[in-house]
Amino acid sequence: MSDSLVNLKRAMNKTVFNEFTFSDERKKAVKEKIREKHSLHHLNSWEEKTIKTVLESIQREPKHGYDISTFLFQKQEKSFQSNEGELYTLLHLLENKEIITSKWIQEKKYYSLTTKGKKYLATYEIGSSERFNTLKNITEEGSI
Amino acid sequence: MNELEQLTVTSDSIEIKEQMIEQLMYEYSEGILYLVFTYVKNRATAEDLTQEIFIKCYEKLDQFNQNASIKTWLYRIASNHCKDYLRSWHYRKITLNEKVWDFIPSKSKRVEDEVIAKDRDINLSNAVMALPIKYREVVFLHYYEELSLADISKVTTININTIKTRLKRAKELLKDKMIKEV
Repeated sequence: MSDSLVNLKRAMNKTVFNEFTFSDERKKAVKEKIREKHSLHHLNSWEEKTIKTVLESIQREPKHGYDISTFLFQKQEKSFQSNEGELYTLLHLLENKEIITSKWIQEKKYYSLTTKGKKYLATYEIGSSERFNTLKNITEEGSI
Repeated sequence: MNELEQLTVTSDSIEIKEQMIEQLMYEYSEGILYLVFTYVKNRATAEDLTQEIFIKCYEKLDQFNQNASIKTWLYRIASNHCKDYLRSWHYRKITLNEKVWDFIPSKSKRVEDEVIAKDRDINLSNAVMALPIKYREVVFLHYYEELSLADISKVTTININTIKTRLKRAKELLKDKMIKEV
């Protein structure tokens, strides 16, 4: 008897589990449900797209907060729409991580990308696994 | 597997959690689906519950202890979820009729000139699926998933000696069953 139990995996795969998989539709349904859930409480968490757009806004020239916010609006980035203060939280976080740097000019704080920041932005364009790790490092700090 | 375990999951980032779940589904959805089926014996229900399990997993991701194995953690959530389902009013109200059909080994799949090996596979699967739940779950985890007794204990929260006893008893039950069928 114990001999045949060794074959259980093969036996079940050929019978009860035959042509039985967790379909892509099912996986998609899980992802959609998750999205629904997080839209309800997304405080302190930023989407990859949001971070990317913020970095892009200061890619060519230093900008102050209000300009960045205008840029985001033009790009239809709505994460900060009802809570603009959060943008500054994110900027502060990015600054702490030395992804961006800032300079005071005429009582306004201008943000620009550091070399590290440029690299980060570049990684958004490449493979997802690498981007995954990079992003993980950035956002981990934000979860405190 | 290793890669998955190394990932830090304490992060608040939704994006990362989503990717984690995607990876987990890629890696374990079939295993979870089969485990769930072993409990509930119904394909559609197994699919529904598996879906719910991954959503639950997403919600609990912050509670995952990084020193633990993510597979064991995930299977434990699945096992608990199935047991909750089997205790639920929804499941109990399913007519007796439907349940009875679950216990009758399906003969429909049998084609007359099947090779003997295939027949043996069907017999074994049916015999295992006909076991009472407390035996069925440990048999599946031990012989199908090839989990160690320690891991089975983590997944099911049953202590190791009890698992040993159940495996032994399950083998006896299967032996009787298989002899009768031959």
